[in-house]
Amino acid sequence: MIPKRKLKKEKKGAGRLVRTLFLGITLCLMFFSPALAYEKIVVLYPAVSPILIELGALDMIVGTTRSDHAVKGVVKVGSHLRPNIELLNALAPDLIIAGSRRAFPYEMKERVKADIFYYDPATLDDILVKIKKIGAMLERKDKAENLVARLKKRLSEISSLPRQPSVIYEVMAEPLRVAGKKSILTSIISAAGGNNLVSINKKHAVISTEKVLKLTPDFYVYQVGPMNKNPVPPEERPFYKSLKSKFIRINELEFARPGINAFDAAVKLNIIFKGAAHE
Amino acid sequence: MRLILLAALLTAFIAAISAGAVKIDLFNMSEIERNIFLDVRLPRVVLAGLVGAALALSGVLFQYVMKNPLADSFTTGVSASSAMGAVIAIMLGLMPYIPLFALAGGLAGLCLVSRIASHRGRIQPITMLLAGIVLSTFASATISFMKFLSDDAVSSIIFWLMGGFQAATASKDMILFAVICLSFLMIRDDYLKLDILCFDDTTASSTGVDVNRLRKKLFFAAALLTAFSVGYAGIIGFVGLIIPHILRLGNFVKASYLLPASLIGGAAFMIATDLIARTILQEGQELPVGVITSSIGGVFFLYLLIKRRKELFYFN
Repeated sequence: MIPKRKLKKEKKGAGRLVRTLFLGITLCLMFFSPALAYEKIVVLYPAVSPILIELGALDMIVGTTRSDHAVKGVVKVGSHLRPNIELLNALAPDLIIAGSRRAFPYEMKERVKADIFYYDPATLDDILVKIKKIGAMLERKDKAENLVARLKKRLSEISSLPRQPSVIYEVMAEPLRVAGKKSILTSIISAAGGNNLVSINKKHAVISTEKVLKLTPDFYVYQVGPMNKNPVPPEERPFYKSLKSKFIRINELEFARPGINAFDAAVKLNIIFKGAAHE
Repeated sequence: MRLILLAALLTAFIAAISAGAVKIDLFNMSEIERNIFLDVRLPRVVLAGLVGAALALSGVLFQYVMKNPLADSFTTGVSASSAMGAVIAIMLGLMPYIPLFALAGGLAGLCLVSRIASHRGRIQPITMLLAGIVLSTFASATISFMKFLSDDAVSSIIFWLMGGFQAATASKDMILFAVICLSFLMIRDDYLKLDILCFDDTTASSTGVDVNRLRKKLFFAAALLTAFSVGYAGIIGFVGLIIPHILRLGNFVKASYLLPASLIGGAAFMIATDLIARTILQEGQELPVGVITSSIGGVFFLYLLIKRRKELFYFN
């Protein structure tokens, strides 16, 4: 027969051992377990791919949209508005980077077993925040910090202008759609030292040509690209013949995509503004 | 009644040139305001009027050709094939040539429908209607396919298709005016024949009307009017349907009254709807005019159906 007091003591010792073991295992898991970073990423927003490349995560990208030309040799999963769910599932990504909740709604999210990260920045500062977030998610914080620092340095190249020029940015010629307050273009124009005269609280707005003539911007910037393929130059449009603005033609892919390119676009626009100020 | 129509047109025109995104004092204009008025507003109001007139006239002509009060540029496939031509131009980045492509598309649609519906040189209205619906469906499917192929340009295609008069210029006004005059002159001497055509083909033929030739002429004129309208303003629905119906309710039954009245009524209606489209939103924003014409058209048809269901019931 084991005395009762001894039995109690042994039980107490066993409980202490279990507690110590549990604590030890937990600590081991916390410090020595393999990282739970993402390994397979599908990018449904082309502006994100250059960011991932800069973060050294090119080999993690397993799928992109068909309009994404930054990444070669990966599966094209369709368009950003209509990705192919079968292809997405076949790739078995652990992370999908989509443009917005409208582009990749909840119903679609339910059908794919992967985490979703929405990348939809409206300003240059937003882009920097998103880069940091992506860096943290991919466990590449240092590289993200470096990239952010580099982009900030790029912005510091922008020089001040003698006067803030007013701008209207044409997204599409027919019907006339211009960049509104919520567009990344407003942030680019602002960073370049200008002021977007269109204060409508939307990304893009269909506005009257009468309004453009009335606002008489210093610069009428029109993009040429997929959304505005080969438009008639504004100076040749009969209804703009009295518009005294300086017409600037720019490449849509360099300006309208909210990625790393947006910082170069701001610098480029600033140079254009500066050049005109010296004329 | 004609005076009322003319008064409506005049009122719509004056209201349209007086109001817009920018407030203009017509009797005391600054230089910018004068430019806005002469380069933007006036050509736009005139184009809206001309497109309205062209679409209403084409609607009446299609209804004569098909012997069907529900026929218009949509049911005959001309509208959709013109739009398909325009969308091809947008996709290829040939924006300045949109009207040309729309015209080519419309005429191609016209030839196809006319060819399908002809048998031994005679056009069969029912076959033409069915061929038109098939062509319309095919053109819509092609447009959807092109939208799918060009993801980035999809919004430009959608917005263009909704219709509008933003790109109005004096030269477009003049060309469309010439097309309307030409079409009107083509059919000007056929008023009586059009009235006779409302009876059956045998009766019309026995009175000396060359039914087949007349149908071909009407169809060509209507398709020409539609193709130019779509090329200059996109797809604007219901005008060719509701204007002739309103006018018939107002006792414009004879062709000699109905055709000129359609021109005036269509112009007044379109000028008024464009005025709504460009002034209803704030800060110079615009609504696509097709949205307004289709909404008004839908409500009007519901009204007609509800109002006339009793007599239609007893008629049946």
